[in-house]
Amino acid sequence: MIYLKDIQKSFNRQPVLKGINLKIGKGEVVTILGPSGSGKTTLLRCLNFLEKPDEGIVQVGDIQVKSKKATKREILSLRRQSAMVFQHYNLFAHKTVLENVMEGLIVTKKYKKAEAKRESELLLEKVGLGDKHKHFPSQLSGGQQQRVGIARALALNPEVILFDEPTSALDPELVGEVLSVIKAIALEGITMVIVTHEMSFAKEVSDRVLFMDGGVIVEEGSPLEIFNAPKEERTRQFLNRISRDFSVPFLEERAN
Amino acid sequence: MGKAFDPSLIVDFIPTLIYYLGVTLQILAASVLLGMVIGIAAAILRVFRIPVLNQFVILYISFIRGTPILIQLFLVFYGLPAILLFINIDISRMDALYFVIITYALNNGAHFAEIFRGAIKAVDYGQTEAAYSVGMNDSQNFFRIVLPQAVRIAFPNIANSIIGSLKDTSLAFTIGVMDMMGRGETLIAATAHALEVYLSLAVIYYAVVLLFEKIFRLYEKRINRHHSVDVSVTG
Amino acid sequence: MTIDILFIWTAFKEIIRALPITLILTILPLLAGFIIGLTVALIRIYKVKFLSGIANGYVSFFRGTPIIMHIMLIYFGFPLLIDQISKKFDLGIQSNSIPIILFVLTALSLSSGAYLSEIFRSGIISVSNGQMEAAYSVGMNSFQAMTRIVLPQAIAQSIPNFTNIFIGFLHTSSIAFIVSQKEMTGAANIVASTNLKFLESFIAAGLIYWGLTIIAEGLSFLIEKKATAYNRGGVQ
Repeated sequence: MIYLKDIQKSFNRQPVLKGINLKIGKGEVVTILGPSGSGKTTLLRCLNFLEKPDEGIVQVGDIQVKSKKATKREILSLRRQSAMVFQHYNLFAHKTVLENVMEGLIVTKKYKKAEAKRESELLLEKVGLGDKHKHFPSQLSGGQQQRVGIARALALNPEVILFDEPTSALDPELVGEVLSVIKAIALEGITMVIVTHEMSFAKEVSDRVLFMDGGVIVEEGSPLEIFNAPKEERTRQFLNRISRDFSVPFLEERAN
Repeated sequence: MGKAFDPSLIVDFIPTLIYYLGVTLQILAASVLLGMVIGIAAAILRVFRIPVLNQFVILYISFIRGTPILIQLFLVFYGLPAILLFINIDISRMDALYFVIITYALNNGAHFAEIFRGAIKAVDYGQTEAAYSVGMNDSQNFFRIVLPQAVRIAFPNIANSIIGSLKDTSLAFTIGVMDMMGRGETLIAATAHALEVYLSLAVIYYAVVLLFEKIFRLYEKRINRHHSVDVSVTG
Repeated sequence: MTIDILFIWTAFKEIIRALPITLILTILPLLAGFIIGLTVALIRIYKVKFLSGIANGYVSFFRGTPIIMHIMLIYFGFPLLIDQISKKFDLGIQSNSIPIILFVLTALSLSSGAYLSEIFRSGIISVSNGQMEAAYSVGMNSFQAMTRIVLPQAIAQSIPNFTNIFIGFLHTSSIAFIVSQKEMTGAANIVASTNLKFLESFIAAGLIYWGLTIIAEGLSFLIEKKATAYNRGGVQ
């Protein structure tokens, strides 16, 4: 239901995506890992054409777009298949929390205001912000803002929700509240593609993990396969680097 | 409305008018320089909240920014002689040029004062803390650390203000100054080709403004050469 | 020479009768300029082919020349243009039957349009890209994203700039006096010449403009407070 064929993308003649092929099934939760510069965020943003691939085909649900000939109409249809949760939340600053969640329903799904309101209130309850309807984003903490962002995405009931490093901009103590919301959604069977640095999350909730480096998918597999028995050297190096600083033996050494 | 429109006259008039561009630029230069002195002094009075003078400056700035230039021109033209007569100085024969320079100097002074005040406040307080920590007193901090940085911050706004002042000088002719506009008026009286004269004047003003903008941009790059480039938001 | 303080009050009462015209010369061009400015700003931001060049030239010229030039050019140029067109298409319109105020309003509208377009342009650009991306990601098209998300924020954040332009054009209306358009400065001049009390009359006029400016700034402050309340913040 998500299908990428031969996606290529360059910025200023620097290739960032060097031919990505990917299939994601309905209900799958896929995490994309990789060092910075690997192209993982660019890949995610190609799925809703916030980045326009130079070459290749993007398909989400029933809508397929060929990058070279993509028309404005096609791009709009494609975007309506998915919803994104942003690293910096990107909540509509001038609208209340409730209005933020309602906005997509009213404008895109053509809901009547009353219906949109009801739906949105339920969703805000779900993410634990039932009492913050009339607040503005500037009055909320990062974690709260991100949860609103998730509610906003959920409201659209899209084919897939795209998460662009959803917890990277959060203070450490706020990461937990957002992760638990994302985990809950994953368990409900919603298709998700997540770019993240949170390994615990990749391990606990994903059906599949992709490791990207230098613009290609180096390895993919189940969390068990990737974390316990990575096949590629690059994957091993990356995982070592990530876990090295926080491994118990290391901490024991320091204490002595 | 005069004789038939003759485009070639536009070009013909330019040399005659450019000759008086010098007067316009004189007014600008003198009023900007005086304005700088007034502006920095006023900004210091505001920033350091010197009692009484601070209030006076607030009123002064408010009045200048609250009234049209034409009114300011007339007030100085009719008011200055009246005030000076109280101390027995008769300037009723003074060349209109000086009235104009005084008016624009006061006008620029108020605008510059606000710009400098904003720029001084914008200098990171950490700079002052560092100055104190190496043992400087208030005065040294202000003149050696804060003010130089404030000037850099103020530059774009000062540049815009100067260009604005250049455009404002176009009103000086109303009290009888023979600058570019003044010469234009005499040309119109002589030839009845008002439109062509104004087109020539517009071309000259436009060219001078573009030139100033270019020079200011280059200068801005130069004084910012030690600073990291800010990523511009062009969406 | 002494200053006749009492006359300042007499002049004040006389001059303020021209206030309505001054306000018309301020507000109407700003309304027209709002529409022109927004259109031009969007054309420039989206770099619409062909139109974008004209837009850039328009803004550059009208911001690069004194406003009195705009008034004079339109005042002397449009009648010629109108007479030409009238002759060609046999419309029978005589340029000297058109009231001066229309020429003045046209000139000021074009002038304010250029300045306002710069404010719109910088206001729109200053709204973070993320807002636009979020709008796209909930499925809005460009028009919806612009009108529902970007413009409201751009305008709210530009209120101080809009106020400066309003005050600027309130003062600019005084230039119309040079082409014999009735307004407050012209009224002041008449009172001054009739009574030979120049200083007092212009002091009165100055006080009126000053007062209006202060009122405008006060209103603007209140409006801005309300419009940007969403940004006030404070974690709850």
